[in-house]
Amino acid sequence: MGELTSDHLLNDGRLTCLYDGSFEGLLSAIFWVFEHKENPVDIVIEENLQSGFDQVITTIDTDIKKAERVKAGIIRSLGYQAYKDVRCVFLSDDERKGRVMLRFLQYSLKRGARSRSDLAEPIIADFDALLRAVNREIHYQLQFIRFSELRNGIFFAKIHPKANVVPLIMSHFAARLNIQPFMIFDEKHALAGIYDCQRWWMVEAEAVSVPDQCARQDEYQALWQTFYDTIAIEERANLTCRRNFMPKRFWGDLCEMIPHELRKGQPQTATPTACARLAGEQSRKSLQSPLN
Amino acid sequence: MELLDKLTILADAAKYDVACTSSGVNRSAVKGKLGSTASAGICHTFSADGRCITLLKVLMSNACSYDCTYCVNRRSNDVPRATFTPRELAELTIGFYRRNYIEGLFLSSGVLRNPDYTTEQMCEAIRLLRGEYGFNGYIHAKAIPGTSKELLTRLGVLVDRMSLNIEFPSETSLRQLAPDKSGQTVLEPMRFVRDGIKDNIRDKTTSIVKRTRFVPAGQSTQMIVGASPESDYQILNLSASLYSTLELKRVFFSAYLPVNSDPLLPQVTKAPLLREHRLYQADWLMRFYHFDVNEIIDEQNPSLDPLIDPKCNWALNHIDLFPAEINKVPYEMLLRIPGIGVKGASRIAKARRERTLAFEDLSRLNVSIRRARHFITCNGRFADGLLFDPASIYDSLTCEVRNRHYKGVLDGQLSLFGESGLTREASTQPLELASWAS
Ligand code: SF4
Repeated sequence: MGELTSDHLLNDGRLTCLYDGSFEGLLSAIFWVFEHKENPVDIVIEENLQSGFDQVITTIDTDIKKAERVKAGIIRSLGYQAYKDVRCVFLSDDERKGRVMLRFLQYSLKRGARSRSDLAEPIIADFDALLRAVNREIHYQLQFIRFSELRNGIFFAKIHPKANVVPLIMSHFAARLNIQPFMIFDEKHALAGIYDCQRWWMVEAEAVSVPDQCARQDEYQALWQTFYDTIAIEERANLTCRRNFMPKRFWGDLCEMIPHELRKGQPQTATPTACARLAGEQSRKSLQSPLN
Repeated sequence: MELLDKLTILADAAKYDVACTSSGVNRSAVKGKLGSTASAGICHTFSADGRCITLLKVLMSNACSYDCTYCVNRRSNDVPRATFTPRELAELTIGFYRRNYIEGLFLSSGVLRNPDYTTEQMCEAIRLLRGEYGFNGYIHAKAIPGTSKELLTRLGVLVDRMSLNIEFPSETSLRQLAPDKSGQTVLEPMRFVRDGIKDNIRDKTTSIVKRTRFVPAGQSTQMIVGASPESDYQILNLSASLYSTLELKRVFFSAYLPVNSDPLLPQVTKAPLLREHRLYQADWLMRFYHFDVNEIIDEQNPSLDPLIDPKCNWALNHIDLFPAEINKVPYEMLLRIPGIGVKGASRIAKARRERTLAFEDLSRLNVSIRRARHFITCNGRFADGLLFDPASIYDSLTCEVRNRHYKGVLDGQLSLFGESGLTREASTQPLELASWAS
């Protein structure tokens, strides 16, 4: 930080910057902090502001040019990977992300690329912890997204991730599904990713109305549920282990975790194994208790 | 028969196969084709037994003409039989893949008529998948012992990974428990696959783009633990030689679970899950931590300690090498500290270049010190309140396993050591591959 004027001393420990919630908005706020040699306690999204006693508040307007300059600065002095990390942390749902990002950039832009490997520095460690959490969420989504085939041939998935990760998983699914159009709708963040076999893009949406599922969908879902139940070995039942690998908060979006009595298209012929009954037991419980 | 019923029978029959990984090959998407593979593998769900489900794991057929004593599908069992048509199987795989249920297919089979006929059926299903359905995802096929080389070659260029079950840690046990199989019928094809994979590498230097590669994700195998008398010492020596001579990517262990009663099989009530777990830990030490098998286990103590993991055990036996000073010891030694993984070791190595690390710093690095704290110093200091003494370290590390939570597992475990319907072999020699097939 530059020299502190009396103005800064007045603001010190009290200033909070507000931005509009966009990535460019956050970078603009960071630009403003550097430009005015301020040292705010936090940078938060306008609508999340919790006003407190003795707070000084400044709203920073989003300015694409300034955001571009911060971006260029990060890439120049910390490398492209660091910029990607910053983008990734921005998608975190953690309410600390504004200040964690600010401290990280204040610290590392001053010291250069090498500071990125100072993993024991608390400022870097906080940033890395948020980064790890977002990356974990990305991986969870690659694992647990379930598409349903709609009547119009589009595959649709609804998710509720802990971070705003749809923009970071679209390229994986677009490359992989390739000849198959799909939409991933993140109900929690009101964002949808759409792929039309040529390219993918994002749309903000509170809700999407989609056509009915095609007849084949129920059939495949029943086959998958049957497979899931059958493949478990009863003598090795280990529900704790399953919950550790597949946290309960995902179960609501996983068709194989739907309790038996609520399943569609499951003929009587398939007798659930004891393990499957166990599994059913568990998911029933999960419906009653709030998702963790 | 309805497809749903077939799937129930053929998934149920395949559930004892343990290798459900999709790792080992990174193949990016191809325009106009469905699918890609990720080298780290992606688990799509976890079954009620806590195992990861990555692939559609099924048998082509469970109408087996062999009579292996330990297997549900043996011909003398009275169980419902089913066989997929190649097209049914291909469509099922595609249907699941499109919905992100799976990374691909893990196809095994009972011996339908004879090994070659079975393999032809498998090849046909996979050919449909790769060709007609343009499937570019992961495929693991279990080859049938006794399959001809021509068919192995055909199968090998269609799949990513191939495996042959060695089934037991000694050929004596294999012959007794699987009368239709022999060391020869298993090892021959394994060698053939190894040589085929080697040819890939040679080919690479001569041709620029090779479209078809033979078994690009390598070869693996699986053996049952606890149905035959071999010791952990023998098992681990066998896996070490499987890695070195047959260049396997993975050796899988499967705790013996009684599904049939046969005088040759041991009477057990519980699968030796803890023993299986310890063997996997030892296997990791060999594959990722540069441990030699002789450092993990020896002839005098031929069983892994059920109470403590093999890395801790090694450290306690080499206590003179500890405590390890986190800020000084070379990377290789960081890897040998119990509780510190490959990622943790490299984070420590990176961070300590920037500053001297204290205990609090390790948690910032996301390194768990639950076990490690007994074996390290940070800047000359021991962890608070811990005694650096092998006996008390052992006590503190084993209390977790001794407690109620593991009690049941452990009881079954301890009573199992040394029990088997087969006569115990007098020899405790390491099972090198040479002696395996002799
Ligand atoms: S060959 Fe043996 S192990 Fe394989 S399915 Fe047939 S009976 Fe079972």
